This record gives sequence, structure tokens and C-alpha cells, in this order.
Amino acid sequence: MTNRNRPGVGRRTVLKGAGAAAATAVAGFPFVSRAENKPIKIGMVTVQSGRVAMIGSSSSQGALMQIEKFNAAGGLGGRKIELIARDSKGKPDEAARLAREFVNSEGCDIIFDADTSAAGFAIQEVARELGVLTMHMTPETSSLTADPKLKAPTAFRAARQGIHDCIACADYAAKVSKAKKLKRWMGCSPDYAYGRDLNKLFFEYLKKFNPEVEVVGESWPKLFQPDYTEHLTKILQAKPHALFSALWGGDLTAFIDQGSIYNLFAQMEVFAVNTADYAIVTAVKNLPKGIHSSTRYLASYPKTEANAKWAAAYLARFKEHPLNWSWENDAGTQFVIEAMKKTNGVDSKKLAEAIAGMTIESPFGVNGKLTMRAEDHTLINYDNGWGQTISKEPFLPDVQPADWNMIFEHEKEWKKKNNYL
Amino acid sequence: MGGRSSLARDCLIAIVAFLVLAALPYFFPSRGFSDFIVRLAAFGIFATSLNILVGYSGMESFGHGLYFGLGCYTFALIMQRFGVPIPVAFLLTIAVSVVVALAVGAICVNLSEIYFAFLTLAFQMLLHSLIIAWTPITGGDTGLTGGIPRPAFLGIRLDDYYHLYLFSAGLLVVCLLAMHHIVQSPFGYTLRMIRDNASRAPFLGVSVFRLRLMSYVIAGAFGAVGGIIMSLFVSGAFPDFAYWTISGEAIFMIMLGGITVFLGPIVGTAIFLLLNDVVTKLTHHYGIFLGAVILLFALGFRKGVLDFIADRWRDRRQSALTAESRTGTGSAGQEAKSAAAGE
Amino acid sequence: MDLPALAECLISPSCIVTQTTSGLIIGLLLFMVAAGVSLIFGVLKVVNFAHGSFYMLGAYFAYTAYQVTGSYTAAVLAGGIGVAIFGLLFERLLIARVYGSPVLMQILVCYGVILILDDVVKLVWGADFLSFGMPETFQALPFLFAGGVIPVFYLFLIIVTLIIAALLGLLITRTRYGKIVRAAAVNPTMVSALGINTGVVYASVFVLGGLLAGLAGGLAAPVRSLTAGMGLSVVIESFIVTVIGGMGSVAGALVGSLLIGLVRSFGSIGFPLFTEGLMFLMMVIVLVLKPSGLFGKEGR
Repeated sequence: MTNRNRPGVGRRTVLKGAGAAAATAVAGFPFVSRAENKPIKIGMVTVQSGRVAMIGSSSSQGALMQIEKFNAAGGLGGRKIELIARDSKGKPDEAARLAREFVNSEGCDIIFDADTSAAGFAIQEVARELGVLTMHMTPETSSLTADPKLKAPTAFRAARQGIHDCIACADYAAKVSKAKKLKRWMGCSPDYAYGRDLNKLFFEYLKKFNPEVEVVGESWPKLFQPDYTEHLTKILQAKPHALFSALWGGDLTAFIDQGSIYNLFAQMEVFAVNTADYAIVTAVKNLPKGIHSSTRYLASYPKTEANAKWAAAYLARFKEHPLNWSWENDAGTQFVIEAMKKTNGVDSKKLAEAIAGMTIESPFGVNGKLTMRAEDHTLINYDNGWGQTISKEPFLPDVQPADWNMIFEHEKEWKKKNNYL
Repeated sequence: MGGRSSLARDCLIAIVAFLVLAALPYFFPSRGFSDFIVRLAAFGIFATSLNILVGYSGMESFGHGLYFGLGCYTFALIMQRFGVPIPVAFLLTIAVSVVVALAVGAICVNLSEIYFAFLTLAFQMLLHSLIIAWTPITGGDTGLTGGIPRPAFLGIRLDDYYHLYLFSAGLLVVCLLAMHHIVQSPFGYTLRMIRDNASRAPFLGVSVFRLRLMSYVIAGAFGAVGGIIMSLFVSGAFPDFAYWTISGEAIFMIMLGGITVFLGPIVGTAIFLLLNDVVTKLTHHYGIFLGAVILLFALGFRKGVLDFIADRWRDRRQSALTAESRTGTGSAGQEAKSAAAGE
Repeated sequence: MDLPALAECLISPSCIVTQTTSGLIIGLLLFMVAAGVSLIFGVLKVVNFAHGSFYMLGAYFAYTAYQVTGSYTAAVLAGGIGVAIFGLLFERLLIARVYGSPVLMQILVCYGVILILDDVVKLVWGADFLSFGMPETFQALPFLFAGGVIPVFYLFLIIVTLIIAALLGLLITRTRYGKIVRAAAVNPTMVSALGINTGVVYASVFVLGGLLAGLAGGLAAPVRSLTAGMGLSVVIESFIVTVIGGMGSVAGALVGSLLIGLVRSFGSIGFPLFTEGLMFLMMVIVLVLKPSGLFGKEGR
């Protein structure tokens, strides 16, 4: 039954409403393409579970230090960065899958790799195949960037490198070994690519810098092995003057704890590369004095205001200390952000061109500057030093900085030897 | 029962399935989707091959990943080092897997349940230790890097993504067809008899050892095919593919999808992959979600999806038949009537 | 391979002392976990793949107790009792539903629990690895004996674990409870026909296994780095031990553990790169020659 005087929505109201809706749509409906508000998506492939879950948290936090600053300042003409971090669970094929998914299905313009070294190689393949700008933040295996066969034009590494660390370490160790007459050496490093590389390179250069050194034995615990007893007793049997170890993370903590009860640290000089990192020095309850370590990351080195400020800001924001992975991710993100500003966009090829050879102001670089070397797309001139541990802040009171000129000289030779040049 | 007509029917289904798969990328152009199908092919063939052992032969292998990893590494190594045509590398890889399966199988297949499970696992972990230790050949824990050369063969260029997709889809269809034919053959039925009552079989002149060994070798060969597809997909090989977790995941896939229905494992693989991808996208706490789903299936449903559907269907058929024979309608009813009338 | 070094060690008293002690310590800690696995399998025919997670929980419970009380004894007890309770819940709520199911179903349940616990541990205690810290009582210099080195803490552990092993042995062989458990392993129907509640017996075996694993986690905590997934290496080794020693035999678990401990400790001198492979090889050999293990009962 019809009723002329129907209450409710009449034709005029509908038309008025339609008009208003159309106006709103044109003015501000989100799906109408307004590029200024579309976020810039960066996909981070990382490890968030299992034994190295710390890589995930410290990496995304390090990246966020730069991203939040950038977004707060307005982003790229209003476009803010959105960081999506996903867990590869330590599987390289899953890491590659995630990287591809980020680019192919989620519209990410940039990939951050904060995963293990094996995943780094897998992601490098993806970077080459898809031509997407990829920043490796954590892999330290030198061949990733040194080997020209593996090069990808849009991939870069903003992490420290095994070869640099070994040359600097050997230089320092040679001086100490000459001063303290440390002739007999042993190595005890985890039995996988990183451990093997570091052990081999370190002793190669140590013997070069101090030919009197003799390697009397090597022990190879498995990665994540809980019990080092058989390795410790082997070392004690051999009675070396000094021990070199590339153990890191939980493995190093366990090794230090177990070695302490054997009183190992009083019987020889120990050069454990990865000790001076907050993850270790705050976890180990009785850190032996005098372990020689490189500065993975400490708020006290470099002794600059910028570095101290950054560490304090990180601690305040995330309620935990920054780790080596944190500064690497911060630096890598900064390169990307500077390139975005320079090219005013997110085109991978243009970004890559801008980043190659770029120098940025950073608390982590020698004299406050970090450079991304153009020829092999890797980070150089990062602060790197050596010293002996004490059990409280600043943990490494006297740091001898690495000599980068010397590092470059030997690195070039190394590349020639491996036919990388 | 197996027969020429059902083989023909299966072939027809296979061809249709392949055509559908080939056409899908045109409707779903996302690379993520095609990647999913390729992964489905690799793991699906692997899971189905495991089910030949678990579902059809009653052999609960916990180390089937040995063949997946072996297939992956062997194929990648042959292509990287010897540059032979792909079909040659393919056949060589299968040959290697068959030899290994014969050796391992000869040792394992007559052991009882738990010991068989453990020994197969031990052999798989031995391979894994070997892969990790033999760095100059296998690349150690980093895996085989540097990519795989893909020379064209028969007009197929596997460096073209769509060709790779078709190749994987084709292998999936062909392998499923072959495995189905095998389990539906007299050989397959003998395996089921051994599964159900191993002590009776010898009285019927059946050599339990020989048949179990054959089943094990066939499963190993197909498992290696899954590894080959994966190797092409990732352009190399990773030690993960030989780690015990890959066996665990395969067991989960077949349990998810169902072990009594032939297509159960493939369904389970699809569900597992989807679950993996979706959960990774949504949360950092992958373990809790995946673990909860596993418990739900292992404790709650206690059978796979297709098992569940098959059982329901069978129950409904059974009650329909019972109803018919009671009321005297339908074919079952007529039969019942005639039986009652004493014909 | 470094056979000369191995030969050298075998004729040097200091090396023998040090390596044997280290073999003992590796073996005895392993025994605490493996004994539980072996018992659970022997009596319940269940492959408890999640036993490593029991060990992990023991270590974490102990850590928290130590943070709160500062007492190592309290920490170890917290580890043991905490996991004993967890073992009970695990058995009643989860495992009881898969008795008689195929082995793969049991493995799946354990796999699910391992995944969940690893994430739960990460949520509750954080993603960083934790260090327990050596209790002050043990922060003394190691003993020297015939030139060999024996840390004080390890001496303590050896004594404690030997006592626990002895108590366990007595429990199984001399008490009524032990008799019931052994009977239930062989003929549960008969046991139940005699009026004994087999459900309670089964649950108690899990409680015992959990207690042992939890104690192991707490005892070893001062020399381990605590992290999600730390149970994994332990569980693989304890399975190797159980296979070698014989499923269901506590004595076999002890012998197997000590064997593995000594192989690891002397093996790392003679075969430094293949020590792990050596253990798998031993497992394969035993499974081929005597599938039920050194002390296991024939046939299953």
C-alpha cells in the first residue's frame, strides 16, 4: 500500500546525501590515489624465534631508530615509512620466500635483510632476480660482497665484515703477542662458515704479522652446542699461551661460564672477538678480567657525545641495550633514507646509484662518517677497536682503534689472492 | 581395483588437472600464487611419497627427508659441476636415490615400528652431518650458492619462470598419477595386506622383506623428485632440506590431509603451506599457533581432513544402504528382498 | 683425524684424569635426561620427543627461583618439582589421549608441544639468552689430581647425579612402586587386574621423568646459556643414548650415557671434526646388530 506522506528518507534527501558522498569521495576517500599518503613499505626478513631471536628484536629496533626520526620529520613529502618485519625461523629458503612475497605481493619497495649469513646468500639471489633495493644489515661473511660472481646491482651490505675484523684483530693480537711473548696459540670457534672463515683468516694474518706464532691445535664445537667440556679440556691439555675464539652470543656466554670453572682465563690470554657486546657483558655474571675483544657495540666506544646519546635514546625507547645488530641496522637504514631524500623517490635503481659511494654522518663511523664503498657495495670506515674487558661499564676501558689504511692494504691483497679483483 | 579403464580415467583427470594448473597464472597473476604452486609440487610429491610408506605399507618412517635432501643436493651438484642436460641430471639423481634407498632399506625395513622410525632418522641425520661437514663439496651450512645452470631441453627453458612453473605442475601431475597407479595395482594391494597383517603374508607366498624394500625404494625415488623441484626453485640447496624438521613437517602434512585417501597428503601440504604463510604474515609467535594447530589435529580430530570426509561419506553411504534394504527401495532394497525370498 | 694426539693422551695420566672426568660429567648430565626418556618408553611405550623441553623448563624455572631466592638448592628443587608437575599435566591432558596411537601421532603431539613451549619461553623470559651465574660456593679453584684438572662444581655434579642415579636404581629395583612400574611395563592388564590403578602408574612415570629432567636442567644451569630451543640438542643425544642402552632400561641409559660421554671427550681429541657423526654411527651400529640396545629386552 502506498503512502504519500512517508516519513524517513525522501528523494531530495537521497540526492543531497549522494552529492555529499561524492564530494567526500573526491576530497578525501583513502583509495582515491593520493600518493602523498601512501606509506613506503620496507620488508625486513629476520629471525624472531629460536636461539637467535635476539637478532630480530635488535635489528628492527635499530632500524626503527632511524625510521621513527624520519617519519616524525614528515617522511618523504608526507609519505611515511612502514617497516614490516617477518620471521624466517632461520631457514634460508623461507627467507627467500619472504623476500619475494614482500616484493611481489605486498608492494614493498625495499628489502632489509637482518637474517643469518646463509639466508643472506639466498636473499641476494632474490635481489638479483627482482632488481629490488636490498640492504644486508647483519651478514658478516666477506664473500657476499667481495665475490664479484655474487654481486647484485641493487644489493648493499651495511654490516661489519669478517676480513676487516680479522685483519684488525690480527694486527692487535700480533702486537700483544710480541709484548707478552705469546708463541703457542689455539683456536676454538664454532664449526660453520663464519667460525671457519674467521679462524682461518685470523691465524693467516697473525702469522704474517708475527712469524714467531705457532698454532698448536684447533677445536671446533658445533654451533649452539651446550657443553664445551671436551673442548675446554683439550685446550687445557695443550697448554697454549693464547686462545682465539669466534664464538658469539649464548655460545660465548656458556663457554665463558664453563671455562671459568676450569680457571682457563687465568692460564692463557683469551682473544674472544665477540665479547664486548651488551648481550654478553650484561648476561655473564662473573666476566673474567682481561679478555681481549673487539668493540662489537659499546656506548663507550667511540667516546663521542653522538654515540652516547644514541645509546641512551635506544635504551630509553626500547628498555634494553643496543647490540651490534642494532647499530648496523641503524646505519643501513640511514643510507636508504638519505638516498630516498636525494632521489626524492623509491625507485630501486636510482636508490642504488645514490647509495653506491655515499658517505653519511653517523655516530658509528671513524670521525663521525660512514661510507658505502662503490666498488663492492659494502660498509667501510666503521668504528672498530680492540681492548681488554673489565666486568663493569665501560667494559672496555682502553680501546686501540683499528687502522683502516692498513686494513685496506691487506684487504686488497686478499682479494687479489682469491681472484675477486 | 586397478585396471586399464581406471588408468585411462586417471590419465584424463591428470591431463585436465595439468591444463587447469597451466591456466591458473592467467587468472591469478601474482607471483606469490605461482610460487605457492611450485612449493606445493615439491612438498606434495614428497608428502605423497611418504604416505606410500606410512599409509599404504604401514612403515612409519621418521627419516624420509633423507631423500628430499639427497635429491636436492645431488641434482644441484650435478648441474653445477658437470653441466649435463637437465633430463640426464634428473635421471642420475633418481638413480643415486634408488641406490641409497636400496642400501638403507635393506638395513631398515624389517625392523619393528619404533626402531624403523629411529634408524631412518639416524640415517637422515648422518646425511645432514655429512652435508654440514663436507664444506668444499656441499658448501657446508651456507648451502650451495651461485645458482644452477639451466640449459634448455626439448624447448623447455627452466630459466623462464613460467616454464619452471609448468615443469613443476607437470611433474606434480605425472608423479601423482604414477604413484596412484602403483598403489592401486596388485603390488599396492599386497602392500596393504602386509600393512594389515604382516605375519599372514608369508603364508600366501609373499616375501615381506622384498615388498617392503620395493615400497621403500619407490618412496625414496619420488621423494627425491620433490627435492629436485625444490632445488630448481631455490637455485641451489640448503642443509635444512636434510634436517629432521623436514621429515616432521611431512608427517604433519600427511596427518593433516589424511593417510587413507590417496590425495590426502596433497591436501595436507596445501593446508600446511597456507598455514605457514598466513601465520608468518600475522604474527611473530609462529610456534604457538602452529603448535596449537598440530595439537588440535593430533588430539582433537585425530584424522586428516580427507580421512574425515571419506569416513563421513562412507557412513552416509552405509546408512543409506541400510535404510534402503530395510524399506525395500532402491538397489539395496531389491537385493535384500530377493535375498529374503531365497533366490 | 688425529690419532697420534689420542695415543699421546691415553698414555698421559693427567690427560686420562681430565678427559675421564669430563666424560663422566657429560655422561651423567645426559643420563638424567635419558633416564626419563628410557623409563617413559619402557613403561608407556611412548616416545617422548618433548623431553628436551622438560629439561629447558627445568633450567628456566631454576633461573627464576635463583633470581628470587639466591639459593642454588631452591633453584634446583624448583626446577625438578616444577617440571614434575608439568610432566603430570602433559601426561594427563595430552599423552593419555595418544596411548596406542601410531608412533607418528605421538611424535606429532611432542612436536606441537615443543613449538609452543619455545615460544612461551620467549614470551615469558624474553628473546635474549640468559646466564645463571656460578653460585659462590663453587667459585673455587679447580682440583688438581695427578696433573689433571677437575672443577669443583663438576665434582659436586658428579656426586649428586651418582646419588640420584643410585636412588633411582633402588626405587626401580627395591621398592614396591618399582615392582609395579616394572610389571606395568610387561603386562599392564595383569597389573590392573590386581587392582592397581594403571592410570596413576602411568602418570607417575611421567612425573618421575619430569622430575629427573627438571633436576638436570636446574643442576646444569650454572654452566649453560638458557635460550629457547636449548632442549633440542639434549633430546637428540638422549635418544641416541636410549637406543644404545636399550629402551626401558635405566641401567642401559647409564651405560649408554657414560659411553657417549667418554666417546665425546676422548673422541674430540682423536676425531675433532666428526664427533657428532661418531655418535650417530654408534647408534646405527647398535640398531643394526642389537636393535633392542645393549641392555634392552629382545623383541617388541
